[in-house]
Amino acid sequence: MAVRAQFENSNEIGVFSTLTNSYSLVAVGASENFYSVLEAELGDVIPICHTTIGGTRIIGRLTAGNRRGLLVPTSTTDQELQHLRNSLPDSVRIQRVEERLSALGNVICCNDYVALVHPDIERETEELISDVLGVEVFRQTIADNVLVGSYCALSNQGGIVHPKTSIQDQDELSSLLQVPLVAGSINRGSAVVGAGMVVNDWLAVAGLDTTASELSVVESIFKLQDAQQGAITGSLRDTLIETYT
Amino acid sequence: MKVTWKDIGTVPNANEFLDVVLNRTQRKTPTVIRPGFKISRIRAFYMRKVRYTADGFTEKLQDIVDSFPRLDDIHPFHQDLLNTLYDRDHYKIALSQLSMAKHLIDQVSRDYVRLLKFGQSLFQCKQLKRAAMGRMATIVKRLKDPLLYLEQVRQHLGRLPAIDPNTRTLVICGYPNVGKSSFLKSITRADVDVQPYAFTTKSLYVGHFDYKYLRYQAIDTPGILDHPLEEMNTIEMQSITAIAHLRSCILYFMDLSEQCGFSVEAQVHLYHSIKPLFANKTVMVIINKIDAMRPEDLDENRRAMLDTITAEGNVEIMQLSCHLETNLMEVRNAACEKLLAARVEQKLKGTKVNDVLNKIHLAVPMVPRDGVDRSPFIPEAVKSMKKYDPNDPERRKLSRDVEAENGGAGVYNINLRDKYMLEKDEWKNDIIPELLDGKNVYDFLDPEIGSKLQALEEEEERLEAEGFYDSEDDDIFETEEDADIRMKAAWIREKKKLIQNENRSRKSLRNRAIIPRSKVRKTLSQMEAHLDSIHVDHTEVTERARGRAAEEKAYEASIDEGGVDTIMREAARSRSRGPAESTANEIQSSRFDAGLGTKSLRAKADRIEKMHRRERNRLGRAGEADRHVADTKPKHLFAGKRGIGKTSRR
Repeated sequence: MAVRAQFENSNEIGVFSTLTNSYSLVAVGASENFYSVLEAELGDVIPICHTTIGGTRIIGRLTAGNRRGLLVPTSTTDQELQHLRNSLPDSVRIQRVEERLSALGNVICCNDYVALVHPDIERETEELISDVLGVEVFRQTIADNVLVGSYCALSNQGGIVHPKTSIQDQDELSSLLQVPLVAGSINRGSAVVGAGMVVNDWLAVAGLDTTASELSVVESIFKLQDAQQGAITGSLRDTLIETYT
Repeated sequence: MKVTWKDIGTVPNANEFLDVVLNRTQRKTPTVIRPGFKISRIRAFYMRKVRYTADGFTEKLQDIVDSFPRLDDIHPFHQDLLNTLYDRDHYKIALSQLSMAKHLIDQVSRDYVRLLKFGQSLFQCKQLKRAAMGRMATIVKRLKDPLLYLEQVRQHLGRLPAIDPNTRTLVICGYPNVGKSSFLKSITRADVDVQPYAFTTKSLYVGHFDYKYLRYQAIDTPGILDHPLEEMNTIEMQSITAIAHLRSCILYFMDLSEQCGFSVEAQVHLYHSIKPLFANKTVMVIINKIDAMRPEDLDENRRAMLDTITAEGNVEIMQLSCHLETNLMEVRNAACEKLLAARVEQKLKGTKVNDVLNKIHLAVPMVPRDGVDRSPFIPEAVKSMKKYDPNDPERRKLSRDVEAENGGAGVYNINLRDKYMLEKDEWKNDIIPELLDGKNVYDFLDPEIGSKLQALEEEEERLEAEGFYDSEDDDIFETEEDADIRMKAAWIREKKKLIQNENRSRKSLRNRAIIPRSKVRKTLSQMEAHLDSIHVDHTEVTERARGRAAEEKAYEASIDEGGVDTIMREAARSRSRGPAESTANEIQSSRFDAGLGTKSLRAKADRIEKMHRRERNRLGRAGEADRHVADTKPKHLFAGKRGIGKTSRR
């Protein structure tokens, strides 16, 4: 299921929330509207947790996580850490990471098996990522951007990368990640796909500005609602050519 | 490119125009003038009026001209549409008349301003102004017709449908009354008038619909009759314009039942006569009203005629009935598919498509990297979850609903602890202090933290004692060669550093003057040392220098003994040294006394100077630069019978 939502008039959903296969984090906002969008889609399947990180609401950019674990930056306070610990199931490991590049969501892009990280990340962090999240870690760039977390939205089924990623890079990344990839945009042409949407294996939430064709690409690459990835080169191809040129 | 012109400002008629501009002049320029004023002031007063009026006219005229679309700048479709609707020549002439008037008004104002410069009296200036404004008004009054016409054009232009000539378009055309409008009405939400008589639709209508995530526009055109292009009226020409200029899919509607009042022959004939307009477009022939007559039911002759349409390839015939609403969507989808395919094919030929190739590429991992299973993780509960439906009375209660019940956003505060997963539910809202006994509570969440830390520290100490951290390469003997290299390297580094420092100090002059090399004083011993270092024989040079120094000393000694006037001595010395060094030590003479032999001569000169100044001072008048204090208490304001606070001095 792919839905459109807004967090307090902002389309950058991925900035204010995190979504994984076993939990979801949502920033504390002025109203419950965004939270309820997730609530309606996820039901009781996974816990949705209101939280702040270091007192800020940009939790999606500060944290990185998957089914097995959650990494939070040093700026996270003890109280927030305890709150997360209490709200998330015990199977999820939570770890505070001493990393200079503290916006972990921007520098780490991961699913349950593989993670791409910023090339300048510290060795200790790299080890932590592979331990806590249980993933293989690769230092990579996406379309010459070091902020892999911002420019890539990834699930176990597929991924969207920066719209200017070359075909060669896409193939390379896809063989690393072992999932199908497509270059695309979100929120009516925004290149920051990681910050513009959140996705897990059965749900994607994109900004309210996302066009119908962008959403259809999202649905097919993440195989939501029985959509097929082949559609991007098949039935969606003409539509995409028409919209992009 | 602009496709609508809804924002053109109202065009006033000639009289309104005059009123507006003249009113503005009256309001915005000074109005009081008296014959007693200086003539330059009177002239300036009237020149300002004339100029201001002319500016008002030209500005307004320019605004009108600019707000209308220039026919050469817009898409050919709109060009042609405007031509059929408003007549290109008429339109252009009207606009050019406006800009001509602007030019004339400019000229009038320039002429009269020039004349006003020579105005002799207030009356004369006023008459000149009147004449100028009169002529401007005449020019504007002559614009009555173009202004009226442009206002009508504006009103009509604003009501034209917003047709984007470059987007995906279906153009519906055919004979009158064959069901074009009812088709548009049934596939889009456009509110088109459908009536059972010919020429119900008299202009272009647009409707929009979505197909395959793309927005399409469908254009309903007025019916066309089969006669030559020159004989077509404005209504038909609009259809022709749309067919000719829009890169679209043409849907040619036909009514085989002849309920429209036109025979099948006529309809087929019309198709053939407007066929040249279909070049480079996708065409579909749509048989409407199949509830009344199907192509299969046609007699032989008519059938053969119908077949002539499909004779040359690429034309597809489809059937539908707007009345029964059969086949509507099939026809629409087929048309969209055809159009999309054609457009994509054309785009693939261009260069722009290279930028999107990466976006229509699906990168799939070719070979599995390893044997690891990376299957998606979807909990079973997801599959059995009921989809949330806001209209379902049994729907799940969301936190938004709870919020609304408790006073809405900004009033209601959620309890973040409500969803804690703890062993006992009553622990949820327990208060945990942040600090206790001066210690951060969260540092002691682990009961064994103290012993763990101690164990770690002990291990660390043990490792240190065992020499785990000692580096191994400290005690390796240096070979002689290494030592040599090390020494040389140190020497090179030091030398480098010295050179660097020297250069740095040389460069960092700050505000100090640069001393030329030739002026830098070097002692004899320095010179000797330098020449020694570069192995140059210097005995001759040093001896000469020593000899000179001795000479100088002897000379000075002799002067000291003799007691000659010091200045003279210095002068003599500088002369002996040559001109280059002489300037610095000389005493400068006073310019004040230059040329005057004695003190008395100086006094005389002063006296003469004073005498000359006296006459000049006598004639001197108070100028604006002189300080002037006006009457501090003017009599007329303080004398006589006046109440307190009735008048104030301005």
